[in-house]
Amino acid sequence: MRILIIEDEPDLLRSLTMALRDEGYAVDTAANGEDGLFSAESIAYDVILLDVMLPKLDGWGVLQRLRKIRKTPVLMLTARDTSRDRVRGLDSGADDYLVKPFDLPELLARLRALIRRTSGQTTTQIKIGEVTLDTAARSVTRAGVPVELTAREYGLLEYLMLHRGQVVTRTALYEHLFDEDDSTLSNLLDVHVSNMRKKLGHDFITTRRGHGYCIEG
Amino acid sequence: MIFHSIRWRLQLWHGLILLSVLVGFGFTAYRLQYANELHRVDQDLQQRLGPVLEALRRPPTGDRGGPGGPGGPDGPRGGPNGAGGPRRPGGPRPIEGGPDDRGRRGPPPREAGGEFRAPREFRLGPNRAGLFEGDSNPFYYIVWLRDGSELSRSASAASDVSRPDPISRQVPAVRLRGTNREFYQFTPPGECILVGRSIGPELASLRRLALVLSALGSIVMVLGLAGGWWLATRAIRPIGDISAAAATIAGGNLSHRINTENTDNELGELATVLNSTFARLEGAFARQQQFTADASHELRTPIAVILSQTQATLARERNSAEYRETLEACQRAAQRMRRLTESLLALARLDAGQESLKRERIDLSQTVRESLELLRPLAEDRHIRIHSELATTECLGDSERLAQVISNLLSNAILHNTSDGEVRVVTRRENDSALLVVADTGPGIPAEDLPRIFERFYRADKSRTGATGGTGLGLAICKAIVAAHGGSIDVACPASGGATFTVRLPSGLR
Repeated sequence: MRILIIEDEPDLLRSLTMALRDEGYAVDTAANGEDGLFSAESIAYDVILLDVMLPKLDGWGVLQRLRKIRKTPVLMLTARDTSRDRVRGLDSGADDYLVKPFDLPELLARLRALIRRTSGQTTTQIKIGEVTLDTAARSVTRAGVPVELTAREYGLLEYLMLHRGQVVTRTALYEHLFDEDDSTLSNLLDVHVSNMRKKLGHDFITTRRGHGYCIEG
Repeated sequence: MIFHSIRWRLQLWHGLILLSVLVGFGFTAYRLQYANELHRVDQDLQQRLGPVLEALRRPPTGDRGGPGGPGGPDGPRGGPNGAGGPRRPGGPRPIEGGPDDRGRRGPPPREAGGEFRAPREFRLGPNRAGLFEGDSNPFYYIVWLRDGSELSRSASAASDVSRPDPISRQVPAVRLRGTNREFYQFTPPGECILVGRSIGPELASLRRLALVLSALGSIVMVLGLAGGWWLATRAIRPIGDISAAAATIAGGNLSHRINTENTDNELGELATVLNSTFARLEGAFARQQQFTADASHELRTPIAVILSQTQATLARERNSAEYRETLEACQRAAQRMRRLTESLLALARLDAGQESLKRERIDLSQTVRESLELLRPLAEDRHIRIHSELATTECLGDSERLAQVISNLLSNAILHNTSDGEVRVVTRRENDSALLVVADTGPGIPAEDLPRIFERFYRADKSRTGATGGTGLGLAICKAIVAAHGGSIDVACPASGGATFTVRLPSGLR
């Protein structure tokens, strides 16, 4: 999952980036509204964390202009907590609203919920065959036995399972799993897939040559 | 309670005034008409008084023989045919006076002196008799002799007419006996002549007039009251509108305004005044709300930093460099909160007037020198040249607070300057003021921001939020401190570039 954080307070930006990367998200950042809007328009992020008080273009402006192009889920962060502000935020097309100061666990839970909602999932657990993935615990079991996955492998599996039955292109996987800071080589994706096949069964992930990967529902 | 309303009071006063005007008018009209009628009657009576008097004065035809003698021979002639006798032949005959009437009268011996004939008998001239005849309301006359006995009376005279009390003057006098108007006159010898008529018809017509007047008055009164009520309602409706609008505003809808169209009168002026008051109130309220929102934003951001930094860092084991970075971030956030809370407290104290300013004689130029010394490293760091023209400028004030103003303005001038720019600082006396000027060669302040830069949390440069360390309160505090000294602070952006802040403090020295 790839997330864009638009926040002008550098220390807050740093801690959010740190926390989200720890959770296995690919994270891009922007320190002002204009840069943030540019990134949000050019890449299909899974979620955008958007601060309201931003230099150059404030959060409302970013949201308003982004909504003309993309339906990317947006979680707004703001230090304004009047109900009028919250209503305005939700009415302007924000998908969720969090008031600063917030607890990181709550932010992470809301992010997961947003991602889940976007992919039409209602529970935290996705079960395909004998493989079960829990997005809240970020854990995977196969026939009840826990499977050890690296953060990147987990991210890949989660994305494919959330898009079960669909062929996910390599481009899409790169776009959603790696941020701008990743200098991953293209074949690394194949390495992750091959490692996961060893852990979850050879036929769990099928390769559609020339198209991408797919987990059959 | 309802009768205390303006409408009811207006109506009451209106009614009272209308009533008194109507009553006054009606009464006057009635009196005038009464006087007029009476005057007409009096004229008629006076006309008739003359002939009767004449009849006493001149002897009747055919009575020449006995001047001064008793009227015996005349009596039988005129008496029997008093009413029906031929008039044309023209002999004066006694009219209306029956023979028995006169017969009964005791002939009082009267020495007729001068031209008054002996009042033995009385006859009116023939063409005068008609004066005392008539069907409905005839005039009447009565003649009394000097001793009070009646000499003659017209048939129309009522029996209860009493002889008036003698008066000394021999001029016509008038009296009102019941509904009878009577004129009387005493001749020099003492006979009394009375001419009268009932004024019943006149009184009846006056009663009709009174009725008409009352009816008209009542109609006018009702119409007037109805009109007054309508007018009062019309006049009061804007007041109702105003109070309704004010109630709406008091209820929390501060953006509501009183409708002022079609009210170019006093109430319109009132509405306009109220509207501008409401606008100021709304502005103050909006500023207060903005300030609270800004303050909460400014306080929450560093808390958010500390919370997220520590939570993110503590989520797992980190290396010492990461811990260090987190601690530094927390320190920055804490320092920012400290600056902010101190600024807010300073402002709050200045607002509440609790900040007791010292009033000591200080040299502004000396305070500037001290501040410059502290800021020199910052200026050198940014390659800013500082050009100072510091004349000794004494004023009364709190040196600590004024130093805060000076260092605020100077650090702003250094920070918002171009690299290799210049800051000019001047202190001097000007008239009765101590003047401090701080000018920079930076990009200046956009014209649209100029009026607002002394507002709390207002930042002309939006991109400099947060990280730059400014609280957005510096200039607001400067303004509050200067205002507490009774001075003024202004900013100008000359076309040549940069921003120039001018502080004027009352020198307080005579």
